[in-house]
Amino acid sequence: MSAFSRNGGIYALALSLDEAHILINLVEQLLELLGEGDFNHHYDDSDPFAQLMSQLKAAPEEVTAPEDPVLLRLLPNAYADPEAAADFRRYTEPTLRGKKKRILAEVRSGLEVLVDEDHAGIIEDLNPENWLLAINDLRLALSVRLEITPESFDLFETLTEEDPQKSLYAVYFWLGWMQENLLTLLAGG
Amino acid sequence: MASDTLIESDLDISQLVDRPWTTIVWDDPVNLMSYVTFVFVKLFGFSQEKAHALMMQVHTEGRAAVSTGSREEMERDVQRLHERGLWATLQRDDKI
Repeated sequence: MSAFSRNGGIYALALSLDEAHILINLVEQLLELLGEGDFNHHYDDSDPFAQLMSQLKAAPEEVTAPEDPVLLRLLPNAYADPEAAADFRRYTEPTLRGKKKRILAEVRSGLEVLVDEDHAGIIEDLNPENWLLAINDLRLALSVRLEITPESFDLFETLTEEDPQKSLYAVYFWLGWMQENLLTLLAGG
Repeated sequence: MASDTLIESDLDISQLVDRPWTTIVWDDPVNLMSYVTFVFVKLFGFSQEKAHALMMQVHTEGRAAVSTGSREEMERDVQRLHERGLWATLQRDDKI
């Protein structure tokens, strides 16, 4: 079972190989959705997450409000007024998109070692705040696709193991658990 | 006198221009309560107590005003909140 750990100011994450695969697949799919295509992805196109994430892909250069609801959640409007929102987006969205991609790429390179060498292991000396942001963005992305509501956990518990949705929800709640784990360590002073 | 009227009207305009802007954070069912509190402390330097109270306001009332200032400052705050995945907007303060 995955867990972050902390030794003084040094943070690490222990992952099974399966967990590393799940994470790198999600990270790569989100990177691609954000318009970053300059890497060879590790996931199979039949992967259920790949299908979930690629339901709609927006053109990377657009600076109008994205049509994909995941992108609209990650790159939201700053103003209720559409004209002010569009203006703000034109000037700021490339920067916001770039920061999210940079953080996801950093997380990806940590995971890549385990996945490419095909073993469970520990990602040493990671940047805890960047991992926190990356996990949060993965949760936000999944939440849009899974249409998460405050009642979703109850729904998840009623799903049978055979239900294809079960594992998708399980990953969503697992990411929340990882995030709580990391927040507890960060709050440790 | 005409010149006095002009000065008064100039003052009114300047008050309108100085009316502050507010950054609003909106509730969503995804961001963890502990995460939202963490972001408020980190970004705004709030005490743990104040950050927790604001997070609870977002959670129970659906929104909370987290900062007030010039339009440029609020745009920067909104951008920083978006970087961290919080759903934030800015608007002209309702109160003058």
